[in-house]
Amino acid sequence: MSETNKLPAASRRNFIKAAGAGTAAAAFGAVSLTARAASDIKFDAEYDVVVCGGGGGGLPCALFSRWLGNRVVILEKAGSVGGTAAKAAFWYWVPNNEPMRRAGIADPKPDYMRYVARLSRPEQYDPSLPKLGLSDWEYEMCEAIYDSASPAAELLASKGALPYRHEAAVPDYWAELPEDKAPRGRVLFPKDGLPSMSDGGRVAIRTMSAAARRDGIDIRTGYRVQKVLVDESGAVMGVESLTEEGTLFRVRAKKAVIFATGGFTHDPELRKNFLHGAVYGGCAAPTNEGDFVRISSALDVQLRNMNYSWMAPISLDKAVAKDGSLSGIFTPTGDSMLYVNKYGKRVVNEKLAYNEVCATFSEWDGAKGEYPNLTLVSIWDQQAQDHCASDDYGSLIVPKGSNDRHVLRGNTLTELAAAIRERMAKHKSALGSADLSDDFVRNLEATIKRFNGFAKTGVDQDFHRGERIVEKLFNGPVSKKADQKNETMYPLSAKGPYYAALIVAGNLDTKGGPKTNSHGKVLDTRGEPIKGLYGVGNCVASASARAYWAGGGTLGPIIAFAYRAAQSANGAQS
Amino acid sequence: MIRIAYLLTMLALVSTTVRAQQDPVAVGKKLTTNNCAVCHTFGKGEPNGQGPNLFGIAGKPMASDPSFKYSAGMKAAAAGKVWDEQLLDAWLTDTQSVAPGNAMTYFEGDEARRQKIIAYLRTLH
Repeated sequence: MSETNKLPAASRRNFIKAAGAGTAAAAFGAVSLTARAASDIKFDAEYDVVVCGGGGGGLPCALFSRWLGNRVVILEKAGSVGGTAAKAAFWYWVPNNEPMRRAGIADPKPDYMRYVARLSRPEQYDPSLPKLGLSDWEYEMCEAIYDSASPAAELLASKGALPYRHEAAVPDYWAELPEDKAPRGRVLFPKDGLPSMSDGGRVAIRTMSAAARRDGIDIRTGYRVQKVLVDESGAVMGVESLTEEGTLFRVRAKKAVIFATGGFTHDPELRKNFLHGAVYGGCAAPTNEGDFVRISSALDVQLRNMNYSWMAPISLDKAVAKDGSLSGIFTPTGDSMLYVNKYGKRVVNEKLAYNEVCATFSEWDGAKGEYPNLTLVSIWDQQAQDHCASDDYGSLIVPKGSNDRHVLRGNTLTELAAAIRERMAKHKSALGSADLSDDFVRNLEATIKRFNGFAKTGVDQDFHRGERIVEKLFNGPVSKKADQKNETMYPLSAKGPYYAALIVAGNLDTKGGPKTNSHGKVLDTRGEPIKGLYGVGNCVASASARAYWAGGGTLGPIIAFAYRAAQSANGAQS
Repeated sequence: MIRIAYLLTMLALVSTTVRAQQDPVAVGKKLTTNNCAVCHTFGKGEPNGQGPNLFGIAGKPMASDPSFKYSAGMKAAAAGKVWDEQLLDAWLTDTQSVAPGNAMTYFEGDEARRQKIIAYLRTLH
């Protein structure tokens, strides 16, 4: 008999003995309770389904569970519901959605599967194989998205929780691939969002949380779930949360605990150990600190896809300032604008979709032993400042009066370089002391000359800027000039002033965590579901691997898995 | 043994957090940061985020920061209103009932929590 078996539920005496014996960092995990401890433990509340997290994953999980007749509580760590989704544009990618079917836009499943397989596992993709080179798990997870995203979206809409409009013109991010047989039409967007489609998250969180309250879901904010409570048979029986006031709150879950607590974007330790290259945070909610990675580590789970994240470039200044409103740079605005590295050289097509441009930051120069593109510098001229400024989608070029602490200025390129040097020195500790090279200005002049030549002919012979459909989607506002042959490029002026901003790699959020089955059940190391434990969204492993299939490729799958997890938790066959 | 360690650390955490609870200003600041800092800044002259900077909010007319672009729902509800304690309390109880359709979704049913947040906001002068 181990000592554990003698332990009753937390007693006053144990409390006194234990005071001061541990650290807050070790507070996450699981508590396995003996039969006696489990029957003695005092719960503060009891529900059928306990949803941890009130963002873009948790709210749908709670709603779907509630609509199946369950008593449901949401425990949200932040002081407000919304999570990362509240900051997002909230496009949601729904293959073969209802408006597509009504409009007769074909989106056959075999072609969808080829598209996602080709992009998620390009190193294994083989269209002649029954599962296209994907593992059984990856294949099943990708199928689940196709099968369930549309029913989930329709149910959310029909209940008034998430009315949408069909954004039929929005293309997938690789609309040109032969595998993409439905290159446009898969994106839905909250109905009352702005025409710019930038504020969908605020609308969606407003409508979903209103429906949750209308339909009797208890929402407790400022409750940080830190432990799952497990009975002798290994089944999850509830959770323990810490309130903002520092008190403990234990909830029994009669049917299921569903985690939808987001990834580990704001935990530097986990970022450093699981992600490739330097990632400086991101636009995930500041509460996305990897809680479920830590909690589930006590449960023999299989961590998967920890090495990939949903990436977007971010402003170094805003990342260092830990700006809670930080947005990814989704529209690299500006036609007379380019990115250079610390050597003053252009290294990437600036208009690539946000996730794709990020591969450049972590490029390693094995000869020099450095990341030459650790920070890139966006440089633009007065023309771009006058015509391409925007407050949406994390644009670095912002209108007058907006938050522009990230913007550097110089009347000449030499002055601009001095301002960049000064700012890099300020962030020295974040950049491994990186500085501009001695020949930065000379190289930059040559880079601009070459870029200006491309802009005049309309053809970027180095990086093919503006040649793909998605690049025009994210071009941002421009004032079309009579002599402009490519809307994404225009020559930078020979005269200042010039502007610059430092950009680094960031996340929307991570996408690794415990592996679940396609019904959201968290699996143990034998591949068996842990009874009563579910995970949905960025806190669990995504089968997308490196791929960001399309705008809304995050949230579409999330609502699909929320729908499936709620059904399974309610007792459906899975 | 590992299980005991979990339980002990859990209990240790209680003891430290109970101590922190005793300073009302610290609790108010912590609540406000946890509840509001995703969208708002609090220091004098700090930039607006998704929401406006909240320095000096108590006593200001509603939706009156010229450097912030308010939603239509916010502007429609703002006429004649001032951020006094009553309005702040109603706002934090449910922003959507004060200004339907505005961009901020926030609701806090716990009056004690609202009062702590308001107490902290009133110190921002």
